[in-house]
Amino acid sequence: MYDQFNEIFGDFWDPKKRVFFGYLALSLLIALGWMTLLKRTSLKAALARIFDRRVFFSASAKADYKIFVLNRLFTLFISPLMIAQVTIATAVYFFLHDVDWLQSGQFGTTPKSVVVALFTVSLFLTDDFTKFLVHRWMHRWPLLWAIHKVHHSAETLTPVTVYRVHPLEGVLYGLRGTVTQGTVIPLFLFLFGTGVDLATVVGVNVLVFIFHITGSNLRHSHVDIHYWPWLERVLISPAQHQLHHSTAQTHHDKNFGAALAIWDWLFGSLHLSEKDATLQFGLPASQASATNLLDIYLRPFRDMARYVTRRAKRLTHWITRRSPDAG
Amino acid sequence: MPKFGLSSTTAIVAATLIAGSALADTYGPFPVTLQGYDGEKTNSVSYSGQIARHTLEKSLKSLAGRGNGGANAAELEALMLAYFNGSDSDLEIVSPKSKDGFPISQSTVGAISKGKNIAGKFYNGAMPAWPGNMAGKDVVLHMISNAAAANKGFDAENGYDWGQLISKYTMGAMMFNQSVDNYLDEKLAADVKPNDKPYKDGAYYTGKEHSWDEGFGYWGAPAHTMDLTPKQAYAIAKGKDLAAADANGDGVVDLKTEYVFGPAYYAAGADKGGTQTTNYMHTIMQAFIDGRQVIADANGAALTDDQRAKLVSYAATIEGNWEKVLAEATFKYAGSVYKDIAKMEGLEGEELAKAYRAYVKHWGELKGFAMALQTGKNNLGATALELNTLIGFGPVTLDNSYVTGLDAEGNFVRERRMTWNDYQLNMLKVQKQLVDTFGIKSRANDQLAELEALAGALEAEAGAETD
Repeated sequence: MYDQFNEIFGDFWDPKKRVFFGYLALSLLIALGWMTLLKRTSLKAALARIFDRRVFFSASAKADYKIFVLNRLFTLFISPLMIAQVTIATAVYFFLHDVDWLQSGQFGTTPKSVVVALFTVSLFLTDDFTKFLVHRWMHRWPLLWAIHKVHHSAETLTPVTVYRVHPLEGVLYGLRGTVTQGTVIPLFLFLFGTGVDLATVVGVNVLVFIFHITGSNLRHSHVDIHYWPWLERVLISPAQHQLHHSTAQTHHDKNFGAALAIWDWLFGSLHLSEKDATLQFGLPASQASATNLLDIYLRPFRDMARYVTRRAKRLTHWITRRSPDAG
Repeated sequence: MPKFGLSSTTAIVAATLIAGSALADTYGPFPVTLQGYDGEKTNSVSYSGQIARHTLEKSLKSLAGRGNGGANAAELEALMLAYFNGSDSDLEIVSPKSKDGFPISQSTVGAISKGKNIAGKFYNGAMPAWPGNMAGKDVVLHMISNAAAANKGFDAENGYDWGQLISKYTMGAMMFNQSVDNYLDEKLAADVKPNDKPYKDGAYYTGKEHSWDEGFGYWGAPAHTMDLTPKQAYAIAKGKDLAAADANGDGVVDLKTEYVFGPAYYAAGADKGGTQTTNYMHTIMQAFIDGRQVIADANGAALTDDQRAKLVSYAATIEGNWEKVLAEATFKYAGSVYKDIAKMEGLEGEELAKAYRAYVKHWGELKGFAMALQTGKNNLGATALELNTLIGFGPVTLDNSYVTGLDAEGNFVRERRMTWNDYQLNMLKVQKQLVDTFGIKSRANDQLAELEALAGALEAEAGAETD
C-alpha cells in the first residue's frame, strides 16, 4: 500500500522533481516576499491571493490532479519500454571513435574541477536548449500541437499543472532527455577521459537546483513575478511563462524557454512580461476541453488522425491532378 | 539473559567451526583405494608432472627475455626448445626462484618430476588467430624462434612481447586444453582409465583417481587453496606471502603443493580485481576437491553411472569457470590496450618509447589469452573469428601499420594501417563481445563502466518535465 502511494506521489519528496515539497515551500516564501515586500500587500491578503480557492479548486485544477495520478499510472507501464540512455550513450561513444578529427582523451590533462564545471554547464545548457526546441516544435507542428494542447487547455495554473500533459508528450520529452544526455555524456568521456562528473546538490545538477529553489514552481501559478527587462532576456520569469499560457493573440507562440530566455531571444520568440496585465488562460472549447478527462486523453488521437487524413487527401488530389490521363 | 548470551555464543562458535572445517578442505591427501595394492603408499594423490610443466612454462617465459638482438639467437632457441621439448639433463627452474623471505624448496625441474615436457601436451589443432595458417604447436615454435632472435623478447617494429605471448598462449594450449579437453573430458568415459584398474601397470592409484589429479595439476592451485583469499593467492604467485603459502609450516614453499601457478593466479586476479563479484578460484577449487572425493568414495570399484554423472557435472563447473577466467583476462587486457593508446597520445621520445613498451606487453597478454580461449573444449566459432579480426595478428604500431601476415620466408609483413581511434574502438568491441558471449562479471579495466555508471546515474535526470 505504502509502495503504491510512494509510486504515485513520490515526486513530492524527490529533490529531482520540481514539485519536491522543499521547492514548493521556497516558492511559497518567494511569493509571499514578492507580494508583501515589493507589492506592499498585507500578509493576509497575500496568503488569500496565493491560496486562492478559485484557482486550486477550479474545475481545471481538479482535472490537473486527476491527470497527475493517471499519468503516474501510465508512466509505470510506459517507462520500461523506453530506450535506455546507456544504449544511446554506448552507440554515440562507439561512433566518436570513428570520427577521424577527434582523439580519445584529447583533453585528458584538463583539471578535474574544470571538467566537472564544463560538464555541469554543458548538460544544463543542452538540456535547456533541447527543451526549448521540442517545446517550439510542439507549437509549430500540427501533429505535435494536437498533443501539447492538453497542457494549454488549463484555465488555472498551479504547480501541479506541470503534470498536465498527454502521456505521448511525456514520452517525447523523456526521449529528448535520453538523447541529450546520451550524447553529452559519451562526448565528455571521450574527450576528457576519466573523471567526468556532475556538480550536484541533493543529487541534482547544481544549476537545475538553483532553477528550482528560485521559484520554478511559480511558473505555473497566478503569482506574476517578473524580472528586470535585462534579466528577462537571460532567464524566463514566472510572469513570462504565464504569458506563454495566455489566450491573447499577441502572446501566442512566445516564450518557449524553460529556464533560459536566451533561446527565445535568439529565435525571435521572446516576449517580456507586461506589468499588471490580467491574463486569461486556456483554449477555446472547439480546440480542447479543460475538464473532460476522456476528451483530454482521446482528442489528441482524433485530431492527429484528422490531420493525417486531410494531408493524405490533399496528396492524392495533387497526384491525380498531375497524372497525364487526368481530366 | 547471561544464559542466552552464553548459548548463542556457543552456537556461533560451533557454526564457525563447522563452516571452518568445510572450508578448510584441501586437495588431498586421499587414501589409496586401488584394490589389491599392498605397497606402502597411503596417499593416492599425484600430479607432480603437471607442476613440473608449470615450471617449464614459467621458465620459458623468462628465457624469452634473454635474447640480445640476434647474436645469441641459435643458442637461446636451443635452450628454450630444451624447456619446451624436455631434456635428458635436469633443467634449472629459471622461474619461480627462491628469494629473500620466500624460499622455494625445488630449484630444478627434475626435483619435481623427471622427464617432463610441454611439447607432448600442447594443443595442435588449427590456430587461425596467428598468421601463417599454422597448427597450434607450430605457432608456439614460431614464437620461440622469434623470441630467441629478439632483443630482450621485444619486437618494437611488429609490436610483439614474446614472453607474454608464449606464456599466455601456453596457459590455454597446454594447461586449459589438457585439463578440460582431455582429463576432464575423454578420460571421464566409463571405458577409459576405469577406477577398478591402476592408471597404468605398477601404479598405486586408479585410472580415474589419476586422471582427475592430472586435470587438477594443470589448474596450478595449491592444495590448501580453500584457506586462501584471492588476495593471498595473488601474493603467493608474486612470491610475497610466505605465511599464506607455507601450509605445512616448514619454512619453505613446496612448488608441488604450496605455490600458485598461471591459471589459478588469473582466477585469483579476476576475483580480487574488477567488480569483486566473482568467486572463480574457490568455485573451481571446490569442484576439483568434491570430484576427487566422489572417486575416493568409490573405494577402488568401477564408477557407477551416477558417480560418473557427478564427475561430469563437477568437470562442467570447472570448465565453464576456467573459460570465464580466460575471458576475464582477455577483457582486462583489452581495457589496458585501450588505456595505453590514450596514454601514448601527446608523448614523445623516451616517454613514448616507455609507454609503447607497456602497450606491446599488454597487447601480448591480450593476444595470448584470446588465443588461449580458442584451445578449449568448445569451438568458439564466430566468436573466435570476431575476436581475431578485432585484435588482429599484431597491434597497431607507431607508424599505424600492423601485421597482416607472413611472407614466403616466414617474416611478418605489415601491409595495412589503422588509426589509433579505430583500434581503440576494436578494443571496446572486444570487451563487449566477451561480456555478451561469456557473461563475465569481474570486468577489470572495463572501458564502458564509467559511461554506463554515469548514464545510469543520470537516467532519472532525463526530465520528462515539460512546460
